[in-house]
Amino acid sequence: MPGIGPRSAERIALWIVQARGDQPEHIARAIAATRESVRPCPRCGFFTMEEICGICSDTTRAADLLCVVEQATDILPLEKTSAFRGRYHSLGGRISPLDHVGPDDLRIKELVARVEQEKFSEVILALAADVEGEATTNYLVELLKPFPISLTRIAHGLPAGGGLESADELTLYQALSGRTKL
Amino acid sequence: MLADLQLRNFRCFESLGLEFAPGFNFFIGRNGQGKTSILEAACVLLRLQSQRSATLGSVVRFGQKSFAVSGRRENHRLEFRYSPLRRKIAFDDVEQRTLEDYLRIGRVVSFANTDIELIRGGSEARRRYLDFLGAQIDPLYRPTLRSYERALRSRNALLKSSQPRPREIAAYDAPLLEHGARLSGMRTRLVERLAPLAAAAHRDISGNGEALQIRFGPGNSEEFARDLENSRARELRLRQTVVGPHRDDIEILVEGQLANQYASEGQQRTVALALKIAQSRIFMTEEAAPPLLLIDDIFGELDPVRRNALLQHLPPESQKLVTATTMQWREEGVEGPIFELHDRQVIRR
Repeated sequence: MPGIGPRSAERIALWIVQARGDQPEHIARAIAATRESVRPCPRCGFFTMEEICGICSDTTRAADLLCVVEQATDILPLEKTSAFRGRYHSLGGRISPLDHVGPDDLRIKELVARVEQEKFSEVILALAADVEGEATTNYLVELLKPFPISLTRIAHGLPAGGGLESADELTLYQALSGRTKL
Repeated sequence: MLADLQLRNFRCFESLGLEFAPGFNFFIGRNGQGKTSILEAACVLLRLQSQRSATLGSVVRFGQKSFAVSGRRENHRLEFRYSPLRRKIAFDDVEQRTLEDYLRIGRVVSFANTDIELIRGGSEARRRYLDFLGAQIDPLYRPTLRSYERALRSRNALLKSSQPRPREIAAYDAPLLEHGARLSGMRTRLVERLAPLAAAAHRDISGNGEALQIRFGPGNSEEFARDLENSRARELRLRQTVVGPHRDDIEILVEGQLANQYASEGQQRTVALALKIAQSRIFMTEEAAPPLLLIDDIFGELDPVRRNALLQHLPPESQKLVTATTMQWREEGVEGPIFELHDRQVIRR
């Protein structure tokens, strides 16, 4: 299990064996139920127990805004900000020839199909700022350019609340080269 | 200065602790006793990379999973633990998430008998020479190099696939061009700064008035994007990226002639020393910090004239770790503790 080292594992194992109540059984049932009922949303790739996930079916959210992320788990921090009230699309990874991942291994065809059908006004690319993230962003830009949408990408730069002196030099460099006009 | 150094499961050493003096420290022993490994440990501790191998996996002692080095320099305690899965660095006993504070503490210049490859060998040796220096004076150098190499390797993997897909290759053009242009710029400036220092160092140690010139030989023109565009057919045929900083080189000329073709072995050794002294002078003049000098198996091999010239022109403020098989060559005035290595044991005399 991720995040659990040998010492924690030993303590958990002992607790399971020695627990007085039936908490371990509850947890076991909860894990089994989760495995059975939670699956990727067929539209956006986020987690859902229903036909379509809570974000895709929420009619109060803007239906003309789409945010593209690498992984379904990237949606969680974005949702916590409450800054984005549109739809998501998770690719399930990024184009990475060194890991033998190509466009056909990702949900890119599904993305193009959604852009064709759902009439978005803006598509925001929120991929990582490393080499593979950049390349995947470029690939998507070429693919989505023909559509009458505004294509944007998220900014990278200074962490909020941080002074210049606390930022590392690479971050500062990116913040400077990605500066915005006032 | 590096006051002390501890090694655990590093190359042939299970466990070793050493205390150094300022100035010269000598390591004497037959071949294969681990003299170079002690110098390498000092380099890995200060720079988190080895002066002699590209990866750290081979540094782990045979049969072990990880190594650790630690030591004290300028009153800061540095510690580096490496295993193939995890690297941990601590600065004054506080684990660090970024390398910046840690890498600020120590600079290294390595002199080795194999430095003649800088003149004789392929261009990779000369790029490594620039990269080893660049990573020590510009915190952006290493991340830029890493990103460029990652973009290059990805792009080459795409070009090598049985059915190259132009759209995917093109997606890697932008990161290749962006990081490549930054890397070229950094290397151009490095060679510009090195050139006068190397020429001066060469005058100092050659003693014969021959002029050394070094020039950057970039692997692409200033119009990198156009070069890449123009090389499409060639790269599809050769199945690799054929222009870019991975083809950078340094041209080395003695008296206007290419040193790899026209210089004698003695002249080539002098040029190699001049290039390394130039590195240490960059730290002295522009960083105002004397680097740690690692001098591996050089003094015993040089003729007395070059040896004396080298001794005179090494920065006197620098601490020096020196290996040799014997001490017979030692001149008057070169004082320092002698560590004798025998059967993995180190005895200080």
